[in-house]
Amino acid sequence: MTQLHPKRLAQIAQFELVRLFLTKRGLLAVAAFAICWLLILRYPIAQSVTLISSPDFADFARQAFGAIGISKLLDWPESELAVYWLVALFSFPSFCLFLCSDQTVGDRQRGTLRFLSLRATRSEIIIGRFLGQLLILAALLFVTLMATVAMLGYREPSLLLSGLSRSFMLLFYLLVAVMPFIALMSFLNTFARSSRLAFVLAILFFAGGNIVIGLLTWQWPAFEVLNYIFPGYQLDLMAGQRAGVTLALGLPLLQTAVLLVAGERIFARSSL
Amino acid sequence: MTVLIQAQGLSKNYGAKRALDNVSFEINKGAPVALVGPNGAGKTTLFSLLCGYILPSSGKLSVMGYTPGSAALFGKLTALPQDAQLDPRFSIAHQLNFYGQLQGLSGAVRKKETARVLELVGLSEVAKQRPDDLSHGMRKRVTIAQALIGSPEIVMLDEATAGLDPIHAREVRELVSSLSNEATFILSSHDLTELERLCSQVLHLDKGVLSEHQARSSTQDNKHFITLQLNQHYDDVEAKLAGLADVHHVYMSQAKEYVIEFEKTAEPFDINLLQFCYQQGWQYRQLVNGHTLENQIFHKES
Repeated sequence: MTQLHPKRLAQIAQFELVRLFLTKRGLLAVAAFAICWLLILRYPIAQSVTLISSPDFADFARQAFGAIGISKLLDWPESELAVYWLVALFSFPSFCLFLCSDQTVGDRQRGTLRFLSLRATRSEIIIGRFLGQLLILAALLFVTLMATVAMLGYREPSLLLSGLSRSFMLLFYLLVAVMPFIALMSFLNTFARSSRLAFVLAILFFAGGNIVIGLLTWQWPAFEVLNYIFPGYQLDLMAGQRAGVTLALGLPLLQTAVLLVAGERIFARSSL
Repeated sequence: MTVLIQAQGLSKNYGAKRALDNVSFEINKGAPVALVGPNGAGKTTLFSLLCGYILPSSGKLSVMGYTPGSAALFGKLTALPQDAQLDPRFSIAHQLNFYGQLQGLSGAVRKKETARVLELVGLSEVAKQRPDDLSHGMRKRVTIAQALIGSPEIVMLDEATAGLDPIHAREVRELVSSLSNEATFILSSHDLTELERLCSQVLHLDKGVLSEHQARSSTQDNKHFITLQLNQHYDDVEAKLAGLADVHHVYMSQAKEYVIEFEKTAEPFDINLLQFCYQQGWQYRQLVNGHTLENQIFHKES
């Protein structure tokens, strides 16, 4: 990595926050996100007590997410947070691919990066924008979590404190879980020709990559280890609270570091 | 003289195509420097190398002692890259403020700077507007404004006046001229008259090969030259001029334009020449002390 000046990193990250909350396109994305989450809060989360205790729920979850083993979640007294955890853990990473699809590619095509690169190193631009996207995701996660905790408090005020404490832990795990997804888009942005192409490449990476590794594993089972290159590989285990710290935190952090270093190296050598 | 930019054996290849071929030059602090050449000659490639947008295939390039793109040059080297646009989603002031912030200017200073540079390009009233709300020419002037934020020591303007109306093109030229004591400007343009007015050193690129010229050279190998432009065509001008005292050689560089090589004596040759024109009834348009830049670069006497 080349020079990383903390002040410039923070300024670039902060500018990304403004991009989401103070531009028309950003506000539209926030509005769409808010409507989706209002529906999620209104139905599955508001009715979490009956939903979790329903015998059909385990079947539904098994069909929706595979055999994730959610028995631990059923023990949470804060059932709203249990449903939030399942929805957020699988929806935020996918949402991330869409939300973070234009980190540098649009500015590169327009030439705006030429103005920026005379004032910040390329490492600062790519890492700063990654941090900016992470801040945005943190803000969105925080808002939805607080809304969920508010609903929990409304149903059962005595669970408010324990709910708050659990929600901060969930926020931390969710943030780490989305990191490699943002980093994947940072990486794809360094060579894609448009944000749309970066998004398509991400989908191809997950879909095509899974097929290729599935075929390889079928012939040579040792290739199963390649599954670790996919961001979100640990999500199934995390959903049922069955992932250890190494898997829940170590794997996504490692994937993030590898993707960011690879992206930074490509970005540093590419023509602007 | 302080050397600002030093290039040695600089080459850049795009696949099999060589865009710059073993280019060496030095640019000193001071008067604006022109970069000229036909389309595809390698001007933008050289600009991009100087700004650190691309890496050279071989050779050495140093800007104020640093590699182009180095953090040490932030705020010291600024540029108007060809065809680069500001982000259409943010107001002009917001983006210029952000650039000032990255250059390390404090809140109040960068607000003043934004106002100052927009005023310099005559666009104070568009500060709150977005780039998409402006005309092409106004967008160009705003991007020139971003290159003037802070106190840059080198300002590179690639085709700064292309697409501007004559009034604003003139304003940009005046701006460069008035700021040339504070920063060294490097200008690329197809308008040789414009560059001739502003620059003393000229880097001429053709097919990736560089040659250097002086914008107004009145002497060459101890020979003295004057370029005479007449208002209209007259008969036997070359022969009549050749008959003047102290004249060695006369040739027509282009229609109604004559280059006169003469020997310098105690007699003022230019005054004699003007008197001769008057006697012949020739109306002159311009008398250039030396060669015009255009003739230096493009004219090969047969």
